[in-house]
Amino acid sequence: MITAAQTAVAKPGSPKASEPVDPIFRQIRDLVYKVSGIFQLEEKLYLLADGCGRRMKQVGSKSPRDYWDLLTAHSSRDAELRHLLNEITIGETCLFRSPPQLDALHKVILPELVADKTKQVIKRLRIWSAGCSTGEESYTLAMNMLEQSQGLLKDWTIEIQATDLNDRSVEAAKAGIYGDYALRATSDYFKRKYFSPIDEKKLQVRPEVKKLITFSRLNLQDDSKMLFMKGMDLIFCCNVLIYFDGPSKSKVIDHFYSNLNFGGYFFLGTSESLMKLNDKFHLVHFPGAIGYWKPSLKSGKL
Amino acid sequence: MSTSVTTLIREHVKRIETTPSIPTVFLPLLELLNAPPEEVKLEEIIKLVSYDNTIAAQCLRVASSPLFGLSKPPESIKGAVISLGLRRVETILLTCCLGQAFPAKQWALDPTLFWRHSLGCAMVCRKFSEKLSAADGDKAYMAGLLHDIGFMVNCLAFSKDFSTTVERALREQIPLDEAERAVMGFTHCETGHALAEKWHLSDDIMQVIAHHHNPEQCQEGKPLVALVHLSDLLCRVRGLGYGYYERRKVDLVHNSSWTILSQEYRDLEGVDLARFTFELDQDVAEIYEMVSTIFGAVAARN
Repeated sequence: MITAAQTAVAKPGSPKASEPVDPIFRQIRDLVYKVSGIFQLEEKLYLLADGCGRRMKQVGSKSPRDYWDLLTAHSSRDAELRHLLNEITIGETCLFRSPPQLDALHKVILPELVADKTKQVIKRLRIWSAGCSTGEESYTLAMNMLEQSQGLLKDWTIEIQATDLNDRSVEAAKAGIYGDYALRATSDYFKRKYFSPIDEKKLQVRPEVKKLITFSRLNLQDDSKMLFMKGMDLIFCCNVLIYFDGPSKSKVIDHFYSNLNFGGYFFLGTSESLMKLNDKFHLVHFPGAIGYWKPSLKSGKL
Repeated sequence: MSTSVTTLIREHVKRIETTPSIPTVFLPLLELLNAPPEEVKLEEIIKLVSYDNTIAAQCLRVASSPLFGLSKPPESIKGAVISLGLRRVETILLTCCLGQAFPAKQWALDPTLFWRHSLGCAMVCRKFSEKLSAADGDKAYMAGLLHDIGFMVNCLAFSKDFSTTVERALREQIPLDEAERAVMGFTHCETGHALAEKWHLSDDIMQVIAHHHNPEQCQEGKPLVALVHLSDLLCRVRGLGYGYYERRKVDLVHNSSWTILSQEYRDLEGVDLARFTFELDQDVAEIYEMVSTIFGAVAARN
């Protein structure tokens, strides 16, 4: 018998902030969703309130209501929203950040991609970590691909392109050195297998993992460069699109769509959505994860 | 399905009468609650429930749990309705009744998981129909609550085969209805339909029970069946499934049920599915707590 205790699907974070939050934060939550596609769950609303609190201190707003005015006033809204988005997405990055995405990858997507490509001469998978920041996501993907290298992906070549706008981030990503905080969700198994200690507090990613990844600087708004990123099977772009305004966001998403192979998948951050910015992608659900699919040619659903 | 299988199922369902049967108040209660909101006869519901001491006591016990945060536990069903609202009390009553009808010890499925899914689906159905500005949210709720009732019949009347089915679904990470077809040759849709006939449930609910896995094949009331089909799928990818990983991707928008609904409801076009999914996540924790409180009460009785 299946029991609730055995359930593979994790119970969602237990509720709930002890104090009720000011209703204005729900308004801010909806505004943030409208401009960025990031949705703060009710039980995480206090995180949004904390972020607003820090911004309020810096700009000298006396009350959440004052801050709301700042966020909506024509003269200040764009700049302040950007600051706020920075505030609420900061420090979110870590390795193994979204287990449901990785489960979907192992259990559904890789078997599907491998089956689709069996007739191809070159067994190759291309993955793009777009807006890779300091490399956490890229290495997580690389390690997970290596885990399949004796099974599903035996004899396959894996190429991961990892790009970011920020030079310093790209350098840090190349170094691949992480402390406890970035590794808080990484199991001992992965730490032992794919990292070497460099001092008491830090671990460095091993060369065999790095070998899979090419790090480089790229501006997602640079159309000519974007045209060179063709032939991807998977694209991950976590908490990056939130910084673009509507029209440039649509353009970047169109690029992602055309850079994907038919049958490929595009993933955003766990609480992020494309809203209704692109109607070519199919929004698909996996247990606990949302992805965007570019239909394969044979599915006839273009 | 062949007539002989239908006859076999009917025979088995008939025999369920020898096991603890459904509380006498259940069906009249269902009928009263099925009435349009403006016609719900509160006094009659209260009177009806008061006939069955066990149900009334259970309802009060659940209503007094910390989950509902009442400063003073209600002393009567009327008090519970006043402080919790009719809808909440409805849920509690129906679940207590059904929980009593089916003893815990014969379950191949963990009742906790069953109730989480049933209540979760009921809630999603109601919210979905609100998004569509559909008139009858309560009907949708009822349909969601009862759609999988055939699993109960399976547990009672086909317990051995159904245990094999559940094991197979778990092992192969496939949907239960697929495993049912492979192992038993029929599904909970058919067994649920036989029970619904016996209980004289209304036609539209009967259609939902019989066709929620193949809405395009039902003759009448397609939109409601389609709504339950989609809500069911959504629950199963957002932590309200049957407690194991179902290896598949779910494309709700390119599902025939979505098309059926879009022909009926214009508002569907405006639904932001990602956001609807995130909003659902907010309620999952509440469903978990509600079920452990209700089911805790039922288990204590057995």
